[in-house]
Amino acid sequence: MTEGAGIPHLELRPEGMFVPAFEAFLDPHGPVPRAILSHAHADHAAAGHGEVWATAPTLAIYRRRNPEWAGASRPLAFGEPVSVPGAALEAFPSGHILGAAQIRVSGSDGAFLYTGDFRRRPSRTAAPASSPAADVLVTECTFGLPVFRFPPRGEVEQRLVAACRAAAGEDSVAVVLAYALGKSQEAALVLAEAGIPTVLHGAAWKLLPEYEEAGFSFPLSRPYESGPAKPGEALIVPPHCARTPVVRAIRKRRIAYLSGWAMREASRAEHDADVLLPISDHADFDELLEHVDAVRPARVVTHHGYARDFARILSARGVPAAPLSDGGERSVEDA
Amino acid sequence: MGPGHPYRELADALEGAASTRGKLAKIEWLAAALAPLEGAELAAAARLLSGSPYAEWEQAVTSVGWATVARAASAVTGWDLETLGASARAIGDLGEAIGLLLPREAAEPAGLAILEVDERLRALSGRRKAAEKGAILEDLLRLASPVEAKYLVKTLSGGLRVGADLATVEEAIGAAFGAPREAVARARRDSGDIGETAAMAREGRLEGIRFRLFHPIGFMLASPIESAEEVAAELPLYAVEDKFDGIRAHAHKSGSKVALFSRTLDDVTAQFPEIALALAAPPGQFLLDGEIVAWKGERVDSFFRLQRRLGRKAPPPELLAEIPVEFVAYDCLAAGDTPLFERPWRERRAELERLAAGGGFRLSAVWRAGSPADLEELFRAARERGNEGLMLKLEDSVYQPGKRGRAWRKWKKALATLDVVVTAVEQGNGKRAGMLSDYTFAVRDGDRLVNIGKAYSGLTDEEIRRMGTRFRRITVARYGPVRAVAPEVVLEVAFDTIQKSSRHKSGYALRFPRIVRIREDKLPAEADTVERVEEIWKGIQGIG
Repeated sequence: MTEGAGIPHLELRPEGMFVPAFEAFLDPHGPVPRAILSHAHADHAAAGHGEVWATAPTLAIYRRRNPEWAGASRPLAFGEPVSVPGAALEAFPSGHILGAAQIRVSGSDGAFLYTGDFRRRPSRTAAPASSPAADVLVTECTFGLPVFRFPPRGEVEQRLVAACRAAAGEDSVAVVLAYALGKSQEAALVLAEAGIPTVLHGAAWKLLPEYEEAGFSFPLSRPYESGPAKPGEALIVPPHCARTPVVRAIRKRRIAYLSGWAMREASRAEHDADVLLPISDHADFDELLEHVDAVRPARVVTHHGYARDFARILSARGVPAAPLSDGGERSVEDA
Repeated sequence: MGPGHPYRELADALEGAASTRGKLAKIEWLAAALAPLEGAELAAAARLLSGSPYAEWEQAVTSVGWATVARAASAVTGWDLETLGASARAIGDLGEAIGLLLPREAAEPAGLAILEVDERLRALSGRRKAAEKGAILEDLLRLASPVEAKYLVKTLSGGLRVGADLATVEEAIGAAFGAPREAVARARRDSGDIGETAAMAREGRLEGIRFRLFHPIGFMLASPIESAEEVAAELPLYAVEDKFDGIRAHAHKSGSKVALFSRTLDDVTAQFPEIALALAAPPGQFLLDGEIVAWKGERVDSFFRLQRRLGRKAPPPELLAEIPVEFVAYDCLAAGDTPLFERPWRERRAELERLAAGGGFRLSAVWRAGSPADLEELFRAARERGNEGLMLKLEDSVYQPGKRGRAWRKWKKALATLDVVVTAVEQGNGKRAGMLSDYTFAVRDGDRLVNIGKAYSGLTDEEIRRMGTRFRRITVARYGPVRAVAPEVVLEVAFDTIQKSSRHKSGYALRFPRIVRIREDKLPAEADTVERVEEIWKGIQGIG
């Protein structure tokens, strides 16, 4: 029997986690009639759902990324539960990216909290994660091993600024490798504060209206389409671009890799990176533990990452925990 | 902390070197760490920066098993072995993982002195029992700060991986003490000790380092050619010799004292007593480069038969009689007190011929080829004599230990290639750390696949990366660092020869397998069979 069967209001189906009370799937792998999306990253927000429930920013980004999508939508607002007889569903901020939510489903027989992807340290663009009480915590554990403890964010941000200034000083283009949704916009904001102009890859640029709608502005940013980056500017592109002409064609460049995976020195070679900057939209190992302590669940179900290892570590600390399913460990390219 | 400079300074320098991709910046980091040191401390530091507490000539390694390191690290970090193993896999390096698992807060230990580290690492390899090694290592890790622990464990697990090799440390020594790079390289080669080289460079006495017999040195290597046409233009510049299918060795001799060192710089003298005896006979001292070859009457015997002499520390008289060996010399690297590395091949050859007159070894014959047709004729003749092919050596070239260049070329006929199926992959080391670059492969045996070998090279980084993505997708099981993959990728592999072996299920092993290409056009069902392997193996035996 898989874990999940014992979680109140949650069933495991081939398509993913199913909430019978709302006849909806949580972040299903493929298209379903009704999906509740924790956030708009592609590995959580599959295309083609019949109906999507999500926060307003998540819905807007989902529409932007899937322009042909014509399904129905229902916005979820933080602090405004949706009720059906016997159960209530509520979204809470997860601190991951703009619009990212944790989902709690509760009833008289107990409650579970699904974290989606989350982080507890302050973010520039996501509302701070809250820690609503739940009997069962279904937690991500992308960085669920004790080697993944990120340095203080402010310190890494300073190193990012310093790396870009150093590049400008030697007449090179600073290339910042960052995921298109979330980290690219945060990097642009950090660099703008330091007065460093940024050139954004199309995948990140096209999402700026959603960020502007949420109150952020990017006066020092321009799209890559408007011309190649010049020394003094920082080019922000998704990590996979490191080995494409977008980056390779720049004769003098200094590459900074912004990711939790930058904790691995091997990522220097994997991404041709000069500078490794461990900044993540995910909780690091300590934040994962903190979240468990704050939510105070009776038990924890781990998934999405080092599920088996993190469950074992929690169990050893006296918190009953098990992996959601034995789906194997995630490879480093997925995050 | 004990007296002297802290090891922390070396660890920080290695960390600095790892954090930059520029060669010059790496050299600067290492040079800055060496500059304030002197004497024994400087010598130890230079060796440790190049990855080992030992000088090359000591032929010692500080190898401690993964399990022993992991147990000690588990005790020191407080993490269970499973978490430790998972962490090392996630990070891709045990030392790096341990550095990350140690607390970085105020309670950091005081750290270790350079000479203390040197002494303890040496003590570690002196122990036989894993439990004793574990106890020493645990003590060491308890005293170490995280960055020190990281590099201590890297030193013990076979690679610092900071992109700085021995040549980088040589340059750092030159930069720190204002010595010319060539002088440092020569001194290191002649002393077999980067540590002594550093200490002497500081004192401005590099020329005081003299070549010493019985310190093993590296071998000069040849790059391959595939045809006579390839070297047609330069043919007159080359001397030509048969390429012997034996065991490459350096023979050091002084009076009746003789030592044979293999390519791995291991002392193999005891395995070949008849060669030691023969070389002891003539007077004088010298260092020869050559090949240990089995002889059958006046002909070269097969490598297959020579193999039965390998690894026999004290070969029994019957075996000595059945498969006698001789040393075929083709280069002379020192004669009397004089090292000859920097003399052209032609002069070294003259010295070798002079020594050969005294007996004790067999002299390799030298030919000349005026045209590609001549070279092909020589190739045929060499093959008929039972040799592998030809060696071409630029008559003007100096002897460069450890270098593979165009000064020496080798031409041998490749055996048929095999189409094999990849059954498992794992991460490589060094430059390819973190990439799935090591492939285990199999041939067909009826309906089954049976493993026949493992290959590390032959593909470009780009290809390895592309294949890595594919292998991650078709992984069916994981055993520690090894991923079993669905058998769907077919490779064409070349190899030097096929041997019987119990290591692989097929009962055969390929010597020096290398990947020729990925056969996207072939299905696993079209891969070669174990019968085909046997056929090739029989063909090889026929040559002998």
